[in-house]
Amino acid sequence: MTKFTQELVNGLTQGGLYALVALGYSMVYGVLKLLNFAHGDLYMVGAFVGYFVLQWFGGPTALAVPVPIVLLAMFLLAGGGVGALGVAIERFAYRPLRDAPRIAPLITALGVSFLLENTMLLLFGASYRDYNTSAFISFSTGIHIGALNIDIVRIMVIVLSVALMIGLRLLVSRTQLGRQMRAVASDREAAEMLGINVDYTISATFFLGSALAGIAGVMAGLVFNQIYTLMGFIIGLKAFTAAVVGGIGSIPGAMLGGFLIGIAEAFITGYVSSTYTNLIVFGILIAFMILRPSGLLGRVQLQKV
Amino acid sequence: MAVEPRDSPSVGVDEWVARSLERREYLPGWRGDVQRALEQVGWWPRLVVATAVGVFIPVVIGLNSFQTQVGIDALLLAILALGLNVSVGWAGLLDLGYVAFYGFGAYGYALLSSNQLNPPGGIHWPAYFSIPLVMIGAAILGLLVGLPSRRLIGDYLAIVTLFFGEAFVEFTNNVAPSKLGGPNGIFALDPLHGAHVQITTPTGYFLVLLGLLVVSMAVLHMLDTSRMGRAWRAVREDPLAASAMTVPVNRVKLMAFAFGAMIAAMAGTIFAAQQTSVFPTDFDTPYLILIYAGLILGGAGSMSGAVLGGLLVSIVLDGFLRSPTQSSYIFYGVILVTLCVKLRPWTRVAFVVGGTIVFGFVMHAIVAAFSSSAVAGTSGAHSWIDLHWAIVPANPVTFGNICFVALLCLVVALVQVPGRWRTMLLIPTLYVAACAWEARLSQVPATTRLLLLGAILIVVMAWRPSGLLGARRVEIV
Amino acid sequence: MATAANRPAGVNGLLKLDEITTYYGQMRILEAISLEVGSGELVCLLGGNASGKSTTLKTVLGIVRPRSGRVLLAGEDVTSWPVPQRIANGIAIVPENRRLFGDMTVRENLELGAVLGDGGTFAEDLGRVHELFPRLHERRNQLAGTLSGGEQQMVAMGRALMSRPRLLLMDEPSMGLSPALVQQNFRIIKEVHESGVSVLMVEQNATMALSIADRGYVLSTGQIVLEGPAPELLKSEDLKRAYLGR
Repeated sequence: MTKFTQELVNGLTQGGLYALVALGYSMVYGVLKLLNFAHGDLYMVGAFVGYFVLQWFGGPTALAVPVPIVLLAMFLLAGGGVGALGVAIERFAYRPLRDAPRIAPLITALGVSFLLENTMLLLFGASYRDYNTSAFISFSTGIHIGALNIDIVRIMVIVLSVALMIGLRLLVSRTQLGRQMRAVASDREAAEMLGINVDYTISATFFLGSALAGIAGVMAGLVFNQIYTLMGFIIGLKAFTAAVVGGIGSIPGAMLGGFLIGIAEAFITGYVSSTYTNLIVFGILIAFMILRPSGLLGRVQLQKV
Repeated sequence: MAVEPRDSPSVGVDEWVARSLERREYLPGWRGDVQRALEQVGWWPRLVVATAVGVFIPVVIGLNSFQTQVGIDALLLAILALGLNVSVGWAGLLDLGYVAFYGFGAYGYALLSSNQLNPPGGIHWPAYFSIPLVMIGAAILGLLVGLPSRRLIGDYLAIVTLFFGEAFVEFTNNVAPSKLGGPNGIFALDPLHGAHVQITTPTGYFLVLLGLLVVSMAVLHMLDTSRMGRAWRAVREDPLAASAMTVPVNRVKLMAFAFGAMIAAMAGTIFAAQQTSVFPTDFDTPYLILIYAGLILGGAGSMSGAVLGGLLVSIVLDGFLRSPTQSSYIFYGVILVTLCVKLRPWTRVAFVVGGTIVFGFVMHAIVAAFSSSAVAGTSGAHSWIDLHWAIVPANPVTFGNICFVALLCLVVALVQVPGRWRTMLLIPTLYVAACAWEARLSQVPATTRLLLLGAILIVVMAWRPSGLLGARRVEIV
Repeated sequence: MATAANRPAGVNGLLKLDEITTYYGQMRILEAISLEVGSGELVCLLGGNASGKSTTLKTVLGIVRPRSGRVLLAGEDVTSWPVPQRIANGIAIVPENRRLFGDMTVRENLELGAVLGDGGTFAEDLGRVHELFPRLHERRNQLAGTLSGGEQQMVAMGRALMSRPRLLLMDEPSMGLSPALVQQNFRIIKEVHESGVSVLMVEQNATMALSIADRGYVLSTGQIVLEGPAPELLKSEDLKRAYLGR
């Protein structure tokens, strides 16, 4: 039972990260119908921003200010910085391609991904960097019942990711900006015909989605400690899958998909085999996609006849 | 009453279609004439000329071993792009697992031409037997992978096939290491052999690949102009309408997958034979991106586009960007050509280039006056850029990094600012680009070539979303 | 025939297209189109498939930019204005096929019609639309995609009217509707027009459109081949020729 709970917590932590990244994928897909392959790399950039903020405050072992302030600064700067980066990428790379054939922005996204990864590689090298979280957040704080250890960082990650998702959900369903985002997602030209500022709406969407990825990057640094320039690819793939499993374009779907994949992975690693985790997960996903292509919460698309 | 209608085509002929040629706009002046003249040349003569050039280069001119290897890689990529064009360009099925068929071909050949299976003697079948067998196997695998396309379209199909591609890499890495070799791959493969002929020289492989490329193009061209080709395009444009016209949509889609897979597997066998080893990482996503880059840059849907794009991407990336000196030629050359093409009139080009040169000398002089060590470094490319121009400090890494980040910011800014300011801003941008290049980028070709690939993809897509030779589609409203 | 003398008064008013030429890529879609809509007029733009009707409307709204020519709104050159600015200055469109946001409620659709307003007149505008289409008030919380065709057309009209337009662009209002609904639809258009909104309507159903219009233009492969007061066009042999070829 302890092992079960432990794996569940691991799954929820990983799943929260997948879900946050998946949300950005899903939102961007919603407004642009674009698989933004560069999204996973934004997560990586966020992890690096968080790392350098941590260093700027004196490094994990000699923090000059209280830990909560450091964490807040890490999240805010990573979120804001990566959000701004997302906006810049959209304006520079994707905006000229609004009316191009579908495959062109896809290739641009691959190009952006290459550019981001290799820029970071050029600037910071290929070596791993260490958040060394336990040096400033004691592992002993948290929940400890018998052999079960749930440290405070994991709790924070789970709570924060759920809170962010709820906030995003409210933003999209209740505010004027959210309405505009939905309008642009469902029919961009019709939205433009009503005078909705489509460029602004898309920029805002990119900002939000990218900021979530940046924050997820910091969380990943805090939980797993090690960050490196190629960490974005595989999570990008999994998060995209999470978005698809949940039903792409659907915000609750992305959350559900993220948590499900995270938990499934944790249990496969814990109970079956860590060598075959990816192979099994890919197999399940292929089967799932074939059986239910519209995802768990996605609406089946009616073909216009 | 108002204007008289022009002479209309007879009733029953769609006027828009009948007149579409009149409305086509050609480039002005002689370039328009060239455009029209080229449109007159038939497909087969073009193929013959291209083949002759392909044979002429290694046989008559001669290539050194490095150049031959670049040529082999380029031909491989061209064949792969050609195969990918069948499913992506013609049938409109986004297949992100394509590289796995290439891997399947290579591993298939490896298993049938080494000691891996049936030890200790192994299997050593002749190529005329093993290659067709592997291709048939790939076609069957293509059919299986294509099965989801009966239900899935667009991005969903893309993601399922991407998983298939990833699963292939995971599979070769982890499953049955004694047979598939795991991450260490399979070694000591036979070269291409059969009927008392054995191909061992790189030039031999070059010619084999060229032959296969030409044959594939000929076969695909015949397919393209047959019922099947029309069916593919019909399915791409509108599956529903196609099925209403009695096109068997699902079968047509599966055929596209199978044909693409066969061609990829064929390329894979030659790749394995030439390099006499295979590794899982040869068939990972980065190579897939390269194939897509070739296809899309050349223009999806156009066969010559796919081949040209594949050749171009591979030659630039493997041929020129590996050595600092040659990559410098490419770097400055591309900048100059872009300026000449994009800036009008030529006085503006002259202004920008002249301004950049002057700006460089002034900056260099100012910096040198403050600190001599700040300009003490030697240019990484040892190129013909005068060292009194670009700033290269004694310890260039940090400075180069800063220049590179500044360059990215300036380029983004350049897109945002209006006309005249853009010309002004271009001067420091170009100078910063040169400094970043000399101080840092030319020193790390492995990273730089991927950076440049990313940049080229973004720029070409923004400039010509349908690729260099792809036809732009016009929606009629 | 169509000289300045027999046009209704006030024709030199609201909208004027001056020698508009538009390309999509290498293809020329519009060729030196000139047309006018006076304030208070209902003008229809007729033509067969791919004759450039929708492109003309999109040029007026600013979604498509002409390669040459000018768009004048109440005498002001708006050719370089972005779409939102034009809408704020009194243009609104009911797009072809209505283009509702199907997974949003009727009320959300109407709110998006008033997206440029500051909210101050929102309640009043909503009241006006509900008065014109009481059905929309009943269905305010229903998803727009689940409405019947006629109701959807009402939402599309109401959405366009939320921004208090001076000039309403209608793109093929009869498309995809049953004959009875087409009748009803044209009654609504006439009603909206009589409440003081100028209308530029694109239609394929020439007889129907001309029966409520003041004037009409006929487009053929990107050129205006015929223009004149609606009653004259209705009788004209040239209209048939323009549609059918010769």
